[in-house]
Amino acid sequence: MNKGYLCIVLHGHLPFVRHPEHEDFLEEDWLYEAITETYIPLILMCEKLLRDKVDFRLTMTLSPTLISMLEDDLLQTRYLNHINKLIELGHKEVERTRWQPEFHRLANMYMVRFYECRDLFQRYRRNLITAFKGIQETGKLEIITCGATHGYFPLMDAVKPSVRAQVKTAVAHYANTFGLKPRGIWLPECGYIPGDDEILKEAGLKYFISDAHGVLHGTPRPKYGVFAPVYCKSGVACFARDLESSKQVWSSIEGYPGDYYYREFYRDVGFDLDYDYIRPYIHPDGIRVNMGIKYYRITGSENKQPYNAEAASEKAAEHAGNFMFNRQQQVEYLYHLMQKKPIIVSPYDAELFGHWWYEGPQWLDFLIRKIYFDQDTIRMINPSDYLQENPRNQVVTPSLSSWGWKGYSEMWIQGSNDWIYRHLHEASEKMTELAKNFPDTNGLRKRALNQALRELLLAQSSDWAFIMGTGTHVSYAVKRTKDHLLNFLRLYEDIKADSIDELWLAGIESRDNLFPDIDYRTHQ
Amino acid sequence: MKMTPLRKKGKGIKKAKARKTKKTARRAPSAKPKLTQASRGAVKETLAVQQLAVEKSKFSTPFTMTAPKATLTELPASYGKDKIVIQVRDPWWIHAYWETTQAALERIKRESGAAFFGARKVLRVYDVSNIIFDGKNAHRFFDIDVGPDATSWYIDTGSPGASWCVDIGLLLSDGRFIMIARSNVVHTPLSGPSSVMDEEWMIPEEMFARLYGMGFGFGKSSPLGKAWQERMRRALFSGILSSPGITSGASPVKKMPKERKFWLVVNTELIVYGATEPDARVYVQGKEIKLRQDGTFSLRYALPDGKQVIGIKAHSADGLEERSVTPVVTKETK
Repeated sequence: MNKGYLCIVLHGHLPFVRHPEHEDFLEEDWLYEAITETYIPLILMCEKLLRDKVDFRLTMTLSPTLISMLEDDLLQTRYLNHINKLIELGHKEVERTRWQPEFHRLANMYMVRFYECRDLFQRYRRNLITAFKGIQETGKLEIITCGATHGYFPLMDAVKPSVRAQVKTAVAHYANTFGLKPRGIWLPECGYIPGDDEILKEAGLKYFISDAHGVLHGTPRPKYGVFAPVYCKSGVACFARDLESSKQVWSSIEGYPGDYYYREFYRDVGFDLDYDYIRPYIHPDGIRVNMGIKYYRITGSENKQPYNAEAASEKAAEHAGNFMFNRQQQVEYLYHLMQKKPIIVSPYDAELFGHWWYEGPQWLDFLIRKIYFDQDTIRMINPSDYLQENPRNQVVTPSLSSWGWKGYSEMWIQGSNDWIYRHLHEASEKMTELAKNFPDTNGLRKRALNQALRELLLAQSSDWAFIMGTGTHVSYAVKRTKDHLLNFLRLYEDIKADSIDELWLAGIESRDNLFPDIDYRTHQ
Repeated sequence: MKMTPLRKKGKGIKKAKARKTKKTARRAPSAKPKLTQASRGAVKETLAVQQLAVEKSKFSTPFTMTAPKATLTELPASYGKDKIVIQVRDPWWIHAYWETTQAALERIKRESGAAFFGARKVLRVYDVSNIIFDGKNAHRFFDIDVGPDATSWYIDTGSPGASWCVDIGLLLSDGRFIMIARSNVVHTPLSGPSSVMDEEWMIPEEMFARLYGMGFGFGKSSPLGKAWQERMRRALFSGILSSPGITSGASPVKKMPKERKFWLVVNTELIVYGATEPDARVYVQGKEIKLRQDGTFSLRYALPDGKQVIGIKAHSADGLEERSVTPVVTKETK
């Protein structure tokens, strides 16, 4: 008999980066890398599990911006070009490494992998959302939504209509994409501030996920800690992250991904190889970038040793076994303590799996299989099923919290990025004013109003503040914030003056083309 | 840099001094009469913009719609309001940003007379926990001298789990505080577990301490008593479990620091190239290679230490002729 549940949540998100005005755009690589290294490996994993009739449960966010990019024709075409170039480079690498067997094997491995990616990509007619949708329909995967553009809600507390627009736009977009309403939402950055659950309720959402202290510091004291969800007063459930299992996977100090046998992220042929040779594959401006072909393992010293895929795979299996063992221990103990089946909620950035931690998808695959075949203490579950089976839960108001640095909002409000809020909030207020002044409109003005909301939402992506805070790609993040706000301000003035420049509007509509069915009236 | 102002109907906005530091933009009261659409073209407006000299320019009238519209290229430094907004950064700190108009200052100057001179701009921070704040019933307040030019501030409230409201205003030389704008109310979160218990979901202290520790990943041996809270707090705030994001460019996986900064890497590669008849078949180390259309070829190999015997054979298309060349390359690294 199982004594508890394990709920693994993968949060898949990338900010909307799409630049038709440039042939080749550096930051678009985030998407292409994530497709090759994370999304396709996860799809392949699920397909194999299904083929082998392994029963599993995963929960995954696909943020509306990520969905929009994966469904975008231009970006799909560009990804195909990208993977074709990698295949070409892969062939060259197989030749180049002919006299170095340990690298030659790896070059072959990458080449096979790139072909696999292209095959899968084409098999789903370039639309990976079709793949995810299919897996969701088997009942093994629950896809949840997110803020429309991953706006950080606690710093929108002064402008609640924007939170509402983030949530409602996301929910409507999800329904259009998957043909059903989302049950859960990943609050961007797990950012929760009391009261936002009311907006989630309005949008028909049943649950969200917070960081551990969101529930642990909630009021009243949560009887089961993070090991059972709580209901907010609105009736929306809140599941809290378990930090023990989080720590094992991605603690930079003691986590699995730092194992010496695992692949070293920072040794990439894009940086390691002769400039003239690699030149055709890096950025056209000659900036070296990651190619995703990496030949070394972490090793534990500067004298990096060649990566050995078999040894790494064994490690992944060992770590999966270790993770499962620890969860079993945890569940046994908690079951005894709580006199109730605990749920262990383990959320991770999806991109950790494969992109940062190359062996991550393999680890997950091993873990799922071991849980299914080797034991019966723990059962995988998704939050919806849990609530179905365990409808009675304590009512607790979770505490303001996020899963970011220091657990609250400092990552997104500090010296480098705090200037954005006066502009974002002003724009939100102006958007509310517009929605109020034009409750019913059509034609050009309606287009302008909808685009105004798109621009506002895009400016609100927490990614920009985050990037300004981390210090890499800063100028891009600043530019994106300003560009969207400036577009918004101009639309605002033009709408009010009733002099909308259709040509210009069409230009930004085609560039910032996400959420075709957006409704500006949600911003209230 | 050329720029065109944001359009403000019927509102004259005076130009602010362009300064390098954050400034409150000074604006004149909007005293101009309302303008019709047609007359707008004649109105000269300027806009306060950070770090940029502001130019005056004309708007195109609706009759010249074909002219391309110029786009604003920089965000305005302020929006012509008297406004303050506060936000929670963490259980202890809140952030405030504000803007005030010249009109507000002038109004206060008119109304307060001599006491205006020597007035200081202050934030008045009110503890409004569990009350509906009416401006007078705060539990306590404290002032922060922010100087004339600041437009934002981080405020150390010193007490988590409380509610706050902040006024921006002037503290006159006679001690009176004149509010310019009042903020929203925010609630800082608790920095530890709530003391509020739920009768129906009562939990013994010891059991909660264990669950609390486990929730933070300290396993079954989590400490009890006062010490645990502090330990949890340190763990929570170390940031080791925060999300890196693909956009950060920084892997959560540990990176070994280089022992010394200076370094040198040398690798060698060998290029083997040649030509034959375009329709010939060429084999390098027994493996057939592809020729370019003109019959040339080039191959590139990473060259490890040791001896490489590179047998190259060409067969004519009709299979009657064969040529072979075998370079031998020895590499050693000293």
